[in-house]
Amino acid sequence: MSSSHFVPAQWLPKANWKTAGLLVPSLLLCSAVSAAPHRQEQHFKVAAHPVITIHNPNGLITVKAWTKSEVMIISTPASDRIEVDAEQMGNRVDVSTRELSDSVAPDDMRADFQINVPEDAELQIHNDAGNVSVANVLGDMNVETVAAGVDLEDATGYLTVKTVGGSFTCMRCAGRIEASSISGNFRLLDLRSYHVWAQTSSGNILFNGQFLPNGTYSLKNYSGVIEVRFSPGDSFDLSATSLKGKVNNEAKLTPPPHQRHFMPRWGNALFGTFNEGRAKIEMTSFDGTINILKRD
Amino acid sequence: MATITCREFLSYLEPWMEGERPQDVQAHVRACAHCTSVIKDLEMIHSEARGWNPSEQDAPERVWTALRELLEQEGLIRDKIPARQQAARGQAPRAGWFAGLFPRLPRPVLAGAYLAALVAVAFALSGPVNKRVNEARWLKGTQISTSPLSAQLNFAEQNSNSYVTRSNPVVAASLHQNLAIVDNYIALCEKSVSEEPQNEVARDYLYEAYQQKADLLTQMTERGENVQ
Amino acid sequence: MPEAEAIRLAQQGDAAAFERLYRLHNRRVYSLCLRMVSNTAEAEDLTQEAFLQLFRKIATFRGESAFSTWLHRLAVNVVLMKLRKKSGNESSLEELTEPDEDSGGPRRDFGGPDLRLSGSIDRVNLQRAVEQLPPGYKAVFVLHDVQGYEHNEIAEIMDCSIGNSKSQLHKARMRLRELLHEALRAQAREDRKAASAETGGKD
Repeated sequence: MSSSHFVPAQWLPKANWKTAGLLVPSLLLCSAVSAAPHRQEQHFKVAAHPVITIHNPNGLITVKAWTKSEVMIISTPASDRIEVDAEQMGNRVDVSTRELSDSVAPDDMRADFQINVPEDAELQIHNDAGNVSVANVLGDMNVETVAAGVDLEDATGYLTVKTVGGSFTCMRCAGRIEASSISGNFRLLDLRSYHVWAQTSSGNILFNGQFLPNGTYSLKNYSGVIEVRFSPGDSFDLSATSLKGKVNNEAKLTPPPHQRHFMPRWGNALFGTFNEGRAKIEMTSFDGTINILKRD
Repeated sequence: MATITCREFLSYLEPWMEGERPQDVQAHVRACAHCTSVIKDLEMIHSEARGWNPSEQDAPERVWTALRELLEQEGLIRDKIPARQQAARGQAPRAGWFAGLFPRLPRPVLAGAYLAALVAVAFALSGPVNKRVNEARWLKGTQISTSPLSAQLNFAEQNSNSYVTRSNPVVAASLHQNLAIVDNYIALCEKSVSEEPQNEVARDYLYEAYQQKADLLTQMTERGENVQ
Repeated sequence: MPEAEAIRLAQQGDAAAFERLYRLHNRRVYSLCLRMVSNTAEAEDLTQEAFLQLFRKIATFRGESAFSTWLHRLAVNVVLMKLRKKSGNESSLEELTEPDEDSGGPRRDFGGPDLRLSGSIDRVNLQRAVEQLPPGYKAVFVLHDVQGYEHNEIAEIMDCSIGNSKSQLHKARMRLRELLHEALRAQAREDRKAASAETGGKD
C-alpha cells in the first residue's frame, strides 16, 4: 500500500505555490484511493472437474459457470487490513480471506467475490455472513454459513447446505440435496432431484418441485410450516406427522392396506398413497403445521 | 411395490454401500443376480483392502536425519529455548482442564464428545417405563442423569460466549440467537418427554436438539479460536 | 511433551519440539505415502517433503482444524502433486481427477459376460488395480478402506464435504471393480491361448 506523500508548504519556492495548490490535493486523493480497497482479478487454468474452495468470514459470493477451462476470481476486500489469498495446487484452487494485522475491526473483515468456474467444478464454500449465490454449476457442492443466505440455481450433483440462521433457496436443481439449519427458511422450487433431505428447527420449508419415481423427500422441522405442492399426475407415498400441530391435506390418498399398523400413537398424522406411490415423502414437525396443497 | 431396473439400481448403489436399504431396492437385489454380484464385488474390494497390513511402521530413521539437516539449513530450528526465557515471556495462566480442552479438540471430536454424553443419556431415557409404578423412579433417574449433561453443556455455553463476543457482530448475534432457539426447544422437548416418556418422536427431537446444541457450541468455539 | 506444547514450541523454532511432532506423526504419514506410491524410496521422500512443508508453515497453524488433520492434508497434497508430475503432462490433468463418467458406474455391466470376481481379488491384484486409479480416487480409497479413516475425517483432510468423500470412494471402488474385471478377462484370454497352444503342440 502506498502512503500519502505530504510536502510541507514552507519547503516550496514561492513560485511553486500554484503547483503545490494543485499537487497536494492530487496526492491526497491518490493516497485516499490507494487506501481504499482494491479489486483484484486472478485467473487459474484448470482441467476437468476442478475443486474450488472458498473460506470467507463475510461478504457476497457469486459463482457462475462458464465454458472456459479456467477459474476467474474477482475479489474486493472491504479494507486494506485484509487480503485475499488464492492458491492453486494441481486441479484445486483455494481462496481464503485473511487478516493482515491482529486488530482488524469486524466490519473490515469482509470481502466480496465474483467467481467464474467451469460448469463441472466442485465447490466448497464457507462464508459466515453475507450471501452465497451459485448458478449453473453442475459439480458437487458444499456450502456452510452462519447468517449468510444461500441461493442455488440450476445446480446439480451432491449439494449439501448447512446454515445456522441463513435462508436457503434452491431453484431448478437436480441430483441429491441435503440441507440443514436452525432458523433458516428453505424454499425448494422446481427441483428435479431424486433425494431431498431438509431439516430446519424454527424455519419454514416450502417444496414445490417434481417427485421423481423412487425419489425420497424428507422434510422436517420443529416449528413453523412445512408445505409441499403436488399436481394430479404426481405419484407418491406420504407420511406426515405433527406431534402438536396440524396436518392439512388436499390430496386424495389411498390409506395403507393394514391401516391399524400405521395408526399414529402420538400427535396428528396422515399416511397414504397418491396414485401409484412411486416417490416417498416424509414430513415431520414437532408443533408446526404441515400443508399438502394442490399446485396452482 | 414399484420395481426398479438395473440401471436405476446403479444410482442407489452408493447409498446402499453406506447402509441405506430402501424396500424397493432390497426387492430388486433379492431378485437380480447381476446386481447382487455387483454388491458382492464392492464388498470384497472393501474387505480385502481392510486386511492390508494394518500394522503401520515408522519411517526409517534416515528420513528424520535428512529432515533435521534440511530444517537446520533453512534456519527453521534452533536449540531448546532456555527455561528462564520461557518464564520471562510470562505465559498466560492455564485455563481449567475443561475450558482448556476446547481449543485443542477438532470440531468432529468435540461434537462427538458431546454426543457420547448424549448417548449415555439416551440409554438412561430409554429405561424400562412399562409399569406405572416405576415411572416416578425412572423420571427421577433421568433427571439425575441429564443434570450433569445440562451442567456440562451450560459450562461449554459460557465458555463459547466469551469467545464469540469478539467475533463479527452479525455472526455473533446469529449464533447467540440460534442458541437461544435451541435451548428453548430442548426445554420443550424435555418437558414433552417427561410428560409422555414413551413418545419416541419427542425423544428423537430431544436428541436432535442436543446434537444441534453441541454442533452450535463447537462452531462458536471455533470462531473464538480464529479471533484469539 | 504434550502435542499442543510441542506445536507452540515448534512455532518458536525449538528443535526438540520439531522432533516430538515428527515422532508422533511420522508413522501415519509414512504409511499413507507408502500406500499411495507403493515404493519405499518414494514414500520416504514424500514423508520428508510433507514434514518439511509442515515445519515451514507451522507458524501459520492456528488450530482451525486438528494438527493431525492439517498434517495429513499437507501429506495428501504432496503425494497428489508428485503423482501429477509423474503423469508427465502438466496440461493434461485428467489423470488426477475422476474419469469422464457421470455416475461412476461401470460401462460394461450390461450385455457382457459376467465374470465373477470372487477368488480373484487377492492382495497382489488389488494392489495393481489401486496403482492404476487416478490419484484423487486413490487418496480417498487408501484413506478410507485401507487406513480406516471415517468420511468426516477424510473430509477434513481433503477439505471436501462428507458427501464428496463418499461419492469419491464409491467411484474408486467401481473403478477398481472395472480394473479387476479387465485383469480377469486378460487372464482368461492368456489361459485360453496357453491351453490352445498346448493342444496344438500335442496334435
